[in-house]
Amino acid sequence: MSWWIQLIACGIAAASFSVLLHQPRSTILVSSLVSILGYSVFLLLKQSTLAYFLASLLIGICCELSARLMKRVATLFVTGAIVPLVPGVGLYRTMRFIVDGEYSDAVRTGAATLLGICGIAMAITISSVLFSAFWHRKANQRGASC
Amino acid sequence: MDSITTTLDAVCLASQLILENGGETYRAEETVERMCQGLGILRVDVLALPTGLMLTLTLEEDRTISRIVRVHSRSIDLNRIDECNVISRKVASGSMTAEEALKALQQIKRPQTEKRPLLIAASAVSAASFTVMLGGSWADFGVSFFCGALVQWVLTPLGKMKVPPLISSMIAGALTTLLALLGARMIADVNIEPIISGAIMPLLPGLATTNAMRDTIRGDLVSGGARLGEAILSVMMLAAGIGLMLSMWGGRLT
Repeated sequence: MSWWIQLIACGIAAASFSVLLHQPRSTILVSSLVSILGYSVFLLLKQSTLAYFLASLLIGICCELSARLMKRVATLFVTGAIVPLVPGVGLYRTMRFIVDGEYSDAVRTGAATLLGICGIAMAITISSVLFSAFWHRKANQRGASC
Repeated sequence: MDSITTTLDAVCLASQLILENGGETYRAEETVERMCQGLGILRVDVLALPTGLMLTLTLEEDRTISRIVRVHSRSIDLNRIDECNVISRKVASGSMTAEEALKALQQIKRPQTEKRPLLIAASAVSAASFTVMLGGSWADFGVSFFCGALVQWVLTPLGKMKVPPLISSMIAGALTTLLALLGARMIADVNIEPIISGAIMPLLPGLATTNAMRDTIRGDLVSGGARLGEAILSVMMLAAGIGLMLSMWGGRLT
């Protein structure tokens, strides 16, 4: 599969996952586009642990920005946009190795998967904490906080 | 002037809805504080947990009123969180009274008309697209499409029968794997790796994990730990379902 088909699939997947979570209609397109952006960074960075972190950080920042612009809760955008990065393959391979009895491979893949998940969670948290720290005063002045 | 019971009802319902539909605990607490500020409550102390909520309103210097709300089921419905947020902001800015807020919140709480075909289609399309995204072929796309549809078709009645989410997670993992293995047996050039990995992506607790981290970093240690435990268990159950089916099919689990 060429890379652009993968990216389109990523956008469609994120959008339909958003539908599954009852995301408000007006936010679905945004999180789909953000997920494409994040996943292309992830692919460019060769899918390393650092790539998980940086791609998620980009997604987190984009989502926080669009949340501020559209006056919505950031969680709405992040949940759909982050899904393509979740290491499903790693989880599957880990399980496959365990079933085959190849425990050293299982531990290696499992650790990489776990690191990926930690990277994603850290990045999302950092972006949300940073934004709420720096935007708090401004938001209060306008009488609305996100 | 709203009666104090109405105020309490509205505030509790708002944060309960947020906790039940996948919101962060700090959001539930913030909602309570914000609404109480708008309704002119002197002081409010609130502790939200993933499984419940405790709050005490101080009306005058020596008059307080408390309530505990239990949260039994947790699912994800972002639309409801969004609507609660809109209402709490209106209350905070003073453009909505407690009674109006209570009515609006009850409207949100009412079970929505089931759009089951839409959800099944969404699940099928997302599973199939994830498969392609992870490098699957068009044959894999087809098999994964059915996996996603079947999983959603089975999960909804399981949820209604009050099967614990952890068990449904395991069932979903096992079903996905079974269908992928069957597909690989029947169609020649089907590769099960992208199918299974793609089809389980929508089932992984992504929101729970990020919420857990967010809660922990903000200092809500109890909620963070509880959510993290839930997320880890749910991943393990999913993996157990996959592993069970793989080993039953391959006939070995050493």
